[in-house]
Amino acid sequence: MEFEFLIDNELHTLSLEKKEDVFVVSDGERTYEVDIQYVSPNALSILIEGQSHLVYLARDEDKKFLSLEGQQFLIQEPQAGEAAYGKGDERSLEDELLVKAPMPGKVIKISVSENEEVRKNQTLAIVEAMKMENEIKSTIEGYVKKILAAPGDLVDSENPIIELATKD
Amino acid sequence: MFKKILIANRGEIAVRIIKACQEMGISTVAVYSEVDRESLHVQMADEAFCIGPAPAVESYLDMDGIIQTAHAARAEAVHPGYGFLAENAEFDRLCEKKNIVFIGPNSKALKLVGDKVRSRQTMEKAGVSIIPGMKRIPKDLSEFESEAKKIGFPVMIKASAGGGGKGMRVVHSPKDLKSGLEAGMREAKSAFGDESVYLEKYIEEPRHVEFQVLADNHGNVVHLFERECSIQRRHQKIVEETPSQALTPELRARMGETAKKVMQVSGYNNAGTVEFLLDKDKNFYFLEVNARLQVEHPVTELTMGVDLVHQQILIASGEKLPFKQEDLSQRGHSIECRIYAEDPLNNFLPSSGRVLFLKEPKGPGVRHDCGIFSGSNVPIYYDPILAKLIVWAEDREMACQRMIHALGDYVILGIKTTIDFLKDVIAHPQFQAGNTTTSFIRKHLGGWEGKKKTEEGLTLALIASAFDSLNKTHTGPAVNRGALRKETFSPWQSLGKWRIGGKK
Repeated sequence: MEFEFLIDNELHTLSLEKKEDVFVVSDGERTYEVDIQYVSPNALSILIEGQSHLVYLARDEDKKFLSLEGQQFLIQEPQAGEAAYGKGDERSLEDELLVKAPMPGKVIKISVSENEEVRKNQTLAIVEAMKMENEIKSTIEGYVKKILAAPGDLVDSENPIIELATKD
Repeated sequence: MFKKILIANRGEIAVRIIKACQEMGISTVAVYSEVDRESLHVQMADEAFCIGPAPAVESYLDMDGIIQTAHAARAEAVHPGYGFLAENAEFDRLCEKKNIVFIGPNSKALKLVGDKVRSRQTMEKAGVSIIPGMKRIPKDLSEFESEAKKIGFPVMIKASAGGGGKGMRVVHSPKDLKSGLEAGMREAKSAFGDESVYLEKYIEEPRHVEFQVLADNHGNVVHLFERECSIQRRHQKIVEETPSQALTPELRARMGETAKKVMQVSGYNNAGTVEFLLDKDKNFYFLEVNARLQVEHPVTELTMGVDLVHQQILIASGEKLPFKQEDLSQRGHSIECRIYAEDPLNNFLPSSGRVLFLKEPKGPGVRHDCGIFSGSNVPIYYDPILAKLIVWAEDREMACQRMIHALGDYVILGIKTTIDFLKDVIAHPQFQAGNTTTSFIRKHLGGWEGKKKTEEGLTLALIASAFDSLNKTHTGPAVNRGALRKETFSPWQSLGKWRIGGKK
């Protein structure tokens, strides 16, 4: 069976086939046998040519969180990831214009007002989470088109706080 | 001895205190905010009461609410843990007034040492050396400006009620003073409910060495040696150890005696910590008293064979200290790593959310003081500390090795944590050489990028994900592996590269 996964926004494919007690893995270049078992609901033991590996895994909707030998992976299933994957370049400017909190928290201060011109690295807002204040800075030069949150609001990292526009 | 104690805290420290009470045969009362209903301290306590909404000011900082709960539950004493009300003299005084024993210092001593500016005055008078800086809180900005000029930049802004790095900022030039003061005051206000800040000379590349002190209600005072807490980030300790590599036996004895003197002139009782800065030339300056159980208390416990929470409770109930200074000596070496819900790859931003999976490290000499579990929620409202990993070994070298392996054996999935970052701190040659100063992180791990993902790692991750996806229609795969095999590996899957619809 063929599998596609997004890791760090890169698409990876792998084929995994059941063959008697083991699985045959093919990644396009090599084909080899692995012995793989759940040892608990969140841990997989993998034996490849006598080498023993332990992979910890947890699922959250379309995401899988993996930890193995000191490396952390966030893996997404292709359907869910495709939108983000396909978007590519146009995301970056949009991201810069729609200013979001880097983490869920509470708005402490909005440091700019609508129609105000902003420089690169100018502080736009201060968001607090877990008792630490974090300054959100502009990554572009332009002006404030719209302010979408007020001090005291709880914000997440998905919805914008401030909308910027470039000058032209 | 008390029959019932209310623990006015949450997270790992509430759990730690509940365990101590259980061992001493004391019933426990937990209090919790609306977002903490499912948390570990609520599960473990004998009784638990909701004391308000998520924001700490409306729950864990609500003095009247907590005292009413203590009365209603007939708790005789309150243990405040660290943070929240632990160093709030007003709460301490209120407890005294309402006939509840506050497990900590008396309110007068707490008020004195809790006021960083007043305690600086007191210590200077007693002949204890202090860091040059303000000895009173200025009224307006111009006073800060002139004082900063007098002290000389860089200066350190500190919260008068401070602790834990909150409200603290280094200001390198006059133009940054105003914004630094504003931010420091806001943070101080939200963390302690008091926005007073003051300025001190910023001592570059110091070591942070503190002494644990126990003082009973009968005038007996002992110190339980030092903890070195130089590994800091944003003025927040992240790794602590004892003994310190910087102290000679002579210096250790001198600092220990100074620590006892600080507590004596303050009229202090119960457990407390005297913090010093140690400069490059081994001069030490009194920094402040932490009038509470410290986050890093376990390293002292493991090297001293003394349970500090037990001692706090015994002292508060009127017992005399069971040992004298000459009975006390350290054995072996202990290191603690604080596990924070922060993303070390993204400027250490807090990472709230659901802990999808937790695997606790285990083994000889490994202790894990933990406030989370698989499935627990980490809210945005409180300090990001999740747990503490503490190791003990015969010597420092072995303690480092033990810590590195324990961190490697520690898995938290679902939120970002500092585990991998801490592993690289301990494994760093300069840490192993004992060259620990407060600028260690900035100097040696400033641009930390995490462990590079290897080809092999990537392949293993793909194999595991594919295998897991094959089985994902089944909940709880390991619970019933027999049934899983039968259903999962049906002929449909063994048909191989074949898909409905013929796509691909």
